[in-house]
Amino acid sequence: MTMPSTNERPPTMNEALLNETVLAVKDLTKSFPGVRALSGVNLHIKGGEVLAVIGENGAGKSTLMKILAGVQSQDQGTIHLNNNPVAFSSTRDAMNAGISLIHQELNLCDNLNVGENLFLGNEPRRLGLISYRTIYKKSKASLEKVGLNLSPRTPLSRLSLGQQQMVEIAKALSTDAKILIFDEPTSSLSNAEAEALFTLIDELRTRGVGIVYISHRLSEVIRLADRVSVLRDGENAGELEGAEITHQNMVKLMIGRDISKFYSRQSHEQGKTLLKVNDLRTSTWPKHKISFRVRQGELVGIAGLVGAGRSELLRAIFGVDQALGGKVILGDFTLSGHSPASAIEAGFGLVPEDRKHEGLILDSSVVKNIGLAGLRHNSRIGGWLNAQQESADAIKFVADMKIKTPHLGQPVKFLSGGNQQKVVMGKWLSLQPKVLLMDEPTRGVDIGAKQDIYQLMERLAASGRAVLFASSDLEEIIGVSDRVLVMHEGRLVGELVGDDINEKRIMELATGGD
Amino acid sequence: MYENLTGVIKLVGISIILVALWIFLSQYASDSFLDAGNIENLLRRTALFSILGIGVAFVIMTGGIDLSLGSLVCLTGCFLAMFLSVDYQPYISDPVYSISKDSSSLLVPQTQRYKAGQWVRLYQTKRTRSGVFQIESVQQGISSPMGTMSKLGLTNAPSRNEDNEDSTAIARLTPVFPISEFDEKSSEMTVIKLGTEIENVLPRDKVWLVNSKNSFKEQAVVQSKSSGNQLVLNLEIDSSIDAKQWLWTPLQRQQYMSVPWAILAAITIALGLGALHGILVTVLRLQPFVVTLCGLLIYRGWSRWLSDDQSVGFGNEYADSLSWFSIGKFPITLPTGGDGTLVNIPYAFFVLVLIATLAIILLNLTIWGRYILALGRNEEAARFSGINTGRMKLLAFSICGLLAGVCGVLFAIEAGSISPSNAGSYFELYAIAAAVLGGCSLRGGEGSILGVIIGTALMQTLNNMIILLEIPDTIELVVLGGVILLGVIADELVRRILGNFNAANRRKDG
Repeated sequence: MTMPSTNERPPTMNEALLNETVLAVKDLTKSFPGVRALSGVNLHIKGGEVLAVIGENGAGKSTLMKILAGVQSQDQGTIHLNNNPVAFSSTRDAMNAGISLIHQELNLCDNLNVGENLFLGNEPRRLGLISYRTIYKKSKASLEKVGLNLSPRTPLSRLSLGQQQMVEIAKALSTDAKILIFDEPTSSLSNAEAEALFTLIDELRTRGVGIVYISHRLSEVIRLADRVSVLRDGENAGELEGAEITHQNMVKLMIGRDISKFYSRQSHEQGKTLLKVNDLRTSTWPKHKISFRVRQGELVGIAGLVGAGRSELLRAIFGVDQALGGKVILGDFTLSGHSPASAIEAGFGLVPEDRKHEGLILDSSVVKNIGLAGLRHNSRIGGWLNAQQESADAIKFVADMKIKTPHLGQPVKFLSGGNQQKVVMGKWLSLQPKVLLMDEPTRGVDIGAKQDIYQLMERLAASGRAVLFASSDLEEIIGVSDRVLVMHEGRLVGELVGDDINEKRIMELATGGD
Repeated sequence: MYENLTGVIKLVGISIILVALWIFLSQYASDSFLDAGNIENLLRRTALFSILGIGVAFVIMTGGIDLSLGSLVCLTGCFLAMFLSVDYQPYISDPVYSISKDSSSLLVPQTQRYKAGQWVRLYQTKRTRSGVFQIESVQQGISSPMGTMSKLGLTNAPSRNEDNEDSTAIARLTPVFPISEFDEKSSEMTVIKLGTEIENVLPRDKVWLVNSKNSFKEQAVVQSKSSGNQLVLNLEIDSSIDAKQWLWTPLQRQQYMSVPWAILAAITIALGLGALHGILVTVLRLQPFVVTLCGLLIYRGWSRWLSDDQSVGFGNEYADSLSWFSIGKFPITLPTGGDGTLVNIPYAFFVLVLIATLAIILLNLTIWGRYILALGRNEEAARFSGINTGRMKLLAFSICGLLAGVCGVLFAIEAGSISPSNAGSYFELYAIAAAVLGGCSLRGGEGSILGVIIGTALMQTLNNMIILLEIPDTIELVVLGGVILLGVIADELVRRILGNFNAANRRKDG
């Protein structure tokens, strides 16, 4: 009897599925009263391939994924898993069948540690009690699979967002998934972490796992996808394969029209110095002093790795976090140790990183959210609300910024990400700020809205104001900025203009190079 | 769909239930329910608890809670009773620093007031017996550690020797004067005016009547007339006295504070305590639940300490000034056939209308109302939009304290007395329940003043129904708790149904 050599392993179930159609979706239709979310959508995923599903907000991607993951069920159409028809009545069903969905918003508990989270809901038991020994033993293996080199006993709260996402992926993998669905996975990952994810996806591919990748970041799609399926208005808009996967083709199918230049950096006249930041020290990096200037008409981008201190800088300028020292001078106002109210009075506005928790009151209406920062400003003497002014402002901005909402009283939680972001911008624009601070201006925003937001930024610059924005999207930084400030571990390590604004140079500085 | 649709639906819902209950009670228990006194009582209780409910609604809207309301109501009432306490002291009074049985004498600070032959009353004694004495001689210029003294020789000896040990007096002395005449039929006593030291004896002052055999009466003055150098006092006395045998001295009514000031002071204390809650919550970042829970205990203990754990009351002193407020009413007649239904609207209800109007204006028409609601819904976003969240929370807690004080004052005046061990018990729960029933979510950011009032009315009507229909009142708490639970369940269901309806009507996120 010959023993199998160490190079030959019996193929795992997943590997056997390489290049076989694992999941086939036919004629999927789903309607909600009054609106048809999906209309006769076809999709198939083969083992060992990455299928990117792209489309504008409202195209139906989210509904499709929810049906696949068992969150909802379709009205018409079939789903076949390995040629067997399936119908999921719960996410558990889908998980047991091997389909796992990695959410954009993580489903982890930050009061538990990594190991406990990995096995949340699936805890190994011994004599009815949770066996922590098994948890920690098995965790090590799962964590290694995703390249996380830390102890399973680490409290989850100590991990960065990116690392937490890796934990969520490890969790899905441990359930022996055949199909992994990623929903905007890199939105809170650093470049290094994103790279680790891509490497992982590559490896999963070789192991026969089918991967569905939903993203607005088309460069990632180009990097990863074997095939791209484009949805528009609930229907299939087209498929691209191999060399056909280009930025232009994808956008054309998504929007249905040609957009030749996505980023258009128009030069605008730059006037005198508008904002001076002198020796600002944030509480996270008390030892580093940050100084720079911003001129009228400038769009200044702040680049850096996750954790470099970009958000902290913006928050310290705006007064949300107390700076430990230094001054912010805007026009006639000198601010130091100030509150957001003072910053607003001086002429700042801040579009925060987490719009759902920091930028919007979700249950509140569009008009009230737009009016939130301007209540005092618009009020009549004695603090009386000026409802007419509020409505007038809201009408103007909704039209101006092309915010898609059925009416002004609509709670903003029902708006898409891009429209929500526009509402947050509208809140500040109604106060005509001198400098608009933006933290991740287009995170979770679809293509069409992204363009609109860039246009708004341009318009601000053209009217003699300035925008100071932090972004993890290098394309965005390069495409939009007149000048780029690069941060590394709390220090401002470089200022780039003109031709120096390129990926290589930025990354060099951002990673601590010269 | 509109932002406030669930709120509106809830408001309409509880209004319908309220009106239905009223109609039911009008049919089934029309005599007792539609009785003027019953309706008045219902309106008064609704007013009181609504005021409390509006206060706590502001705190709930910022995402906090206040559990100390009942104790605060009790404390305010006790303070009010304390401030309005009345004391009667003789107009003329000297401290006594030494009593001598051996030499039949007293030592008082040097004064020309006492003459031989004058009668005096020794009172507020420690160990010596109080009594009436006649002065035999006056010696001035006696020096003592307490200063220069007059030594008053007495015709009779006091019961013992006593000297002061520290600088406090061991007794007090007041001169008593002869009575000219006493008319038994009209209870009028004629006396000679006492000159410059006492201007006049006023109604509601009192007098002491004593005689040489140590009998003693304290009587109230009903009326006083002056003619020439005589004063005619009409006393509240039911027996007759022999003018020749008795002597009198007037007592001055000392009210600690006038009524308006007392009320203001009591309410200010409540306001201050509310602000203290706010400071602890915003500056020290303590949880409102814990802070006000401690308040609940501390204020109750404080009330009991203030009043020596006794019931404190306002007594007959205030029969005139406060009664118009406590039992004053504004009668209107509803045209419901026949003679119409007489409804007496208590003045407290008008206080509620005023407060409710101000609250509604604050909440809906000013920027601060908006700030409070925004902060309750999403504190972070409010802060990021430049709202001073600390100040707004402080404002909410202060309003709550203020209204608790108002309720406390009204409650004390209406009840006439406060029993510190249980006055105000469970009031905070009624208030919170009314607020929740009326549409305030305990998560914050939502609230309706009108809803609070209707919620209170609903609970009070249910209470009334239990009494009128003679349902055993052990059930009362069960019914109340059950109603609130049903209200909250209904709220959640409506929210869910609306949510599904909404989800269907919008394009999904891509």
